[in-house]
Amino acid sequence: MAAPARKSVEFFYDVLSPYTWLAFEVMCRYQQKWNIDLKLRPFFLSGIMQGADNRPPGMVPAKATYMGQDLKRLTDMYQVPFNMPSNPAEVMFIKGSINAGRFLTAVDMNCDQYLEELTRQLFLRIYYRDEDITEPASLMAAAAKAGIPEDLTKQLLSTLKDQAVKDRLRQTTQAALDHGAFGSPTIVAHIDGKAQMFFGSDRLELMAHMLGEKWYGPLPELAKAKM
Amino acid sequence: MGFTLWGPTTISMGFIPVFMMYAAGWRRSILKFSRSSKMAALRSRKVVELFYDVISPYSWVAFEVLCRYRSRWNIDLQLRPFFIGGVFKETGNKPPGLLAAKYDYAQHDLRRLADFYKIPVKMPPMERLMRRENVNSNRLLTAVNLDCPEHLENLSRELWMRVMSRDQDISDPASLETAAAAAGIPSGTTPQLLRRIHDDDVKAALKDTTNQALAYGAFGAPTIVAHVEGTPVMIWGSDRFPLLAHMLGERWEGPLREMAKY
Repeated sequence: MAAPARKSVEFFYDVLSPYTWLAFEVMCRYQQKWNIDLKLRPFFLSGIMQGADNRPPGMVPAKATYMGQDLKRLTDMYQVPFNMPSNPAEVMFIKGSINAGRFLTAVDMNCDQYLEELTRQLFLRIYYRDEDITEPASLMAAAAKAGIPEDLTKQLLSTLKDQAVKDRLRQTTQAALDHGAFGSPTIVAHIDGKAQMFFGSDRLELMAHMLGEKWYGPLPELAKAKM
Repeated sequence: MGFTLWGPTTISMGFIPVFMMYAAGWRRSILKFSRSSKMAALRSRKVVELFYDVISPYSWVAFEVLCRYRSRWNIDLQLRPFFIGGVFKETGNKPPGLLAAKYDYAQHDLRRLADFYKIPVKMPPMERLMRRENVNSNRLLTAVNLDCPEHLENLSRELWMRVMSRDQDISDPASLETAAAAAGIPSGTTPQLLRRIHDDDVKAALKDTTNQALAYGAFGAPTIVAHVEGTPVMIWGSDRFPLLAHMLGERWEGPLREMAKY
């Protein structure tokens, strides 16, 4: 008797978004528990905001204050190592994530076995150690920690301005917009022939219900991100 | 107890009736103990304030979930009808439904949440939610909270059923009269309550509740404030229940669809 086919779950994300890290870690934990095929799809959040005519939530001061408290409580509960950057506005609105997005895309195109760990290492830089993710040296450091061989990293970094890489990042961003995305993370679970889009890191229990899977909470005991 | 379980009474009467008499005595003692521990529990119940507006669909979800968990968690749920328009004005925040992509998403999201929680919530057109006169429903809820709070829960639910399930008006006095009747408010009381919508003390109380929420850091609805060891913990939205449970030292047991009022 054939095993039931794995359900495809696409995880569209940008490492610039702190709530995305929560969702990323939890989904990585559930990869082992659920009959799913988790596909990481790095996109460009700025492109999503433009495409959906949205604004980052932190632009409402009371909301920004709340998010800081909310992220602390959730990351404690979920066992995800987290520290808000010392200058979040600069990190999120000025420095941005175009190089990180292109580098993740290049890795996705050439050696996607490293995509999960590279994503994790970039999150640890921006949202745990308050380190840069825009400079080539920063991306090299993250790649090294992710186990990517140095010559491969150098080669991939040289392709960041290639049309193929730019196009692929743009296509992934557009694919998310076509699913109705307006932020990160955008999770698309393919259930019974239908694409179900979930925004944010707080619909995972509902998604479990729709996937016909069991929800065990955030599974802190399966934490992979090391401090 | 006056008899032994394995004595002559059991042998002559049969085991089961004797065991039931024995158990009945135990039950009386247990009930007495549980009542006194319930009194102790009441004193230590944690206050959970729910600030809500009936034009907020996610407030309905939070309302029903907290009503279900009232009997499961050691909490004292306090309903605080406020005015989301005042919160938006003060914080510079905007109704999410004004953005097309967010409105479309909310429609899907609420349809799925309706199934998951067994609450018949359905996003109405934004025009229905943006009517200025909807504040009459906030003022009516405030008047009820002041004068006859025993009707607050039912009236809140009925107003949500109108605007957030049947796409019906909640701004007109005639609509509010119908809602009050459906909520079980005696017909003799309703005219007085409808007049109270225009009273200064009711307007002030609504403003006051809204300001209290703002003081807790509110920027949207629902705003839940759990008082944990003397510290108010503000939580926004209807998707932080596992966190709320964790902070209250309670267990999240999911949507509890079997407790749905629908």
